[in-house]
Amino acid sequence: MPQNIVTEEKVIEEIKKAVAETLSSDAGAIEPDNSLIKDLGAESLDFLDINYRLEQAFGIKMARHFILEHIEEMFGEGTAIDENGQLTEKAVQFLRARYGDAFPGFKANMDMDEVPSLFTIRTMAGGVMDILNTLPEKCAKCGNAAWKSDDGVKVTCGSCGEPAAYMNGDDLIKEWLTRIQEEKKIC
Amino acid sequence: MDKRRVVITGYGMVTPLGKNTDETFEKASRGLSGINYIKSFETRGLPCQIGGEIDNKWIDELQPAGAQRLQAYSSRGLRLMMAATREAAERARLAEISDRGRIGVALGSHGDNPAVDDISLLHRFYDGKGTWDMQGLMRAGGYSALNFFRRKPDAATSLLSMLFDCKGPNLSFVSACSAGAQAIGEAYRIIKEGSADVMVAGGCEATLNFTGFIGFVLIKALVEKYATPQKASRPFDRKRNGFVMSEGAGSVVLEDLEHARARGVPVLGEIFGYGDSADAYRITDTHPKGEGAILAMRGALEDAGLGIEDIDYINAHGTSTVQNDLTETRAITAVFGDRAKKVPVSSNKSMLGHTIAAAGAIECILTLEGIHHSILLPTINQEFADPKCDLDYVPNEARMQTCRKALSNSFGFGGQNACLCIGQFEG
Repeated sequence: MPQNIVTEEKVIEEIKKAVAETLSSDAGAIEPDNSLIKDLGAESLDFLDINYRLEQAFGIKMARHFILEHIEEMFGEGTAIDENGQLTEKAVQFLRARYGDAFPGFKANMDMDEVPSLFTIRTMAGGVMDILNTLPEKCAKCGNAAWKSDDGVKVTCGSCGEPAAYMNGDDLIKEWLTRIQEEKKIC
Repeated sequence: MDKRRVVITGYGMVTPLGKNTDETFEKASRGLSGINYIKSFETRGLPCQIGGEIDNKWIDELQPAGAQRLQAYSSRGLRLMMAATREAAERARLAEISDRGRIGVALGSHGDNPAVDDISLLHRFYDGKGTWDMQGLMRAGGYSALNFFRRKPDAATSLLSMLFDCKGPNLSFVSACSAGAQAIGEAYRIIKEGSADVMVAGGCEATLNFTGFIGFVLIKALVEKYATPQKASRPFDRKRNGFVMSEGAGSVVLEDLEHARARGVPVLGEIFGYGDSADAYRITDTHPKGEGAILAMRGALEDAGLGIEDIDYINAHGTSTVQNDLTETRAITAVFGDRAKKVPVSSNKSMLGHTIAAAGAIECILTLEGIHHSILLPTINQEFADPKCDLDYVPNEARMQTCRKALSNSFGFGGQNACLCIGQFEG
């Protein structure tokens, strides 16, 4: 359920911290719309590190696979990426549905290698918020609806102290894709 | 001093495909794969469950004389190297050389990774807060002091020098995927400069245990999507998605030509040049334009005094990762220009998997064998063309073709690039 214990501002702050620590740079110099790869110079190994830091900070499980990979697995090879390694029209529809107009850059026939450079601190925050918003109404352990957070980052049950359990990032993407497919019949 | 020439007078290998050079080459020329589901440790729950393992029975069977008493100190990789060097030394008649101070060793290897059992044992005597129960650990007696030697890569070169009585220069390389090629390249330079007459050079790797494997899994370097283990390693193919980890060893005896002629030992090939460089770019990502690879290949050609028109074949690094194969293709295209599409390029890793420190040595030997037999080994598992990888990769089947000179590429994970220019000895 949508929660308001951890705010998007806090998430962006934590992501900036994680990115700054990973890249040994200054968190203060990072802007929410900076591209992780193009503006901040992150490489593939850095993403693993950043994800790990966020998982530890928020107590979540980030997606291990990119949305394009999920599309290919769910709807068949060639659905998202064609034999020339380019985005298909269907992939663009899914991406637009997910990211709205944030990326006018998404277009069919775009080289899939260029896609990761479009991702920013803000899009990453969106992904984290999606996971945080799967906070169940009640604590699974004691059954009470008493969530709290001392630091605005990690959520625990106010009754029994159990850490909040969120949906896993990959499962969340799969669930979203299933829903969008039912709604829009892209494939 | 006149310019010394460096030739090859012996070689040997142990790989997932064979106990010796002939066996591996024969199976590779039939396009067979040495990759299978891993049996030596539990891979359940891991996103990759395959690798190129070597039968333990072979390792015991192939040990040279004197190796038994050194076994306790020897990493698994070293034991493979001892077997490979036994084959190489026999062929080169290494034992008959009298001045042992003029024979050196150059080896790429990484030693053993800690075994899960060792780690578990140690944790029984640790309270998790910085305190060790040393008395308890010593009473349990289960942690061998000799693990120390099996972990250290330099112990391998030390033991090899003992076993094969090589008192000359002794060098250890730990540069991941380029270590074996670097060892051969630096051994070549040592002979050229006159510091030794003979060098036993090569690489070995046997880190295919849980701790070794999991490292590569965590950084997502290993293949995760494959129809069968044998189809997983597919360099340059559009569906490639990571490398397959393997174990192996390759040993080459390099010798000054005049020294070889004087003792009448048959010459099996020549090293014409060596080029090396560093990407100096990122921790694992390769330079998108392949600048480091280009430097290494051009360096090898320049050192050999040859041009692109002299090269008949390229033994690619070809790991089956999305990045390497693309970067390598770009680098070859940059160096060879219009000729790039005419020079066959193939990857032995499609059949053997990635033998890491051993790769440069094994692939150098397979290139020479190919030259002897006039066979270009294939890159198997070429099913889906990648428009960005558009060279002649000798797809799926070996090809009968003569070849006189070749380049063999080894581009390490951290950006270390090595390129050997090798070929037929023509007098």
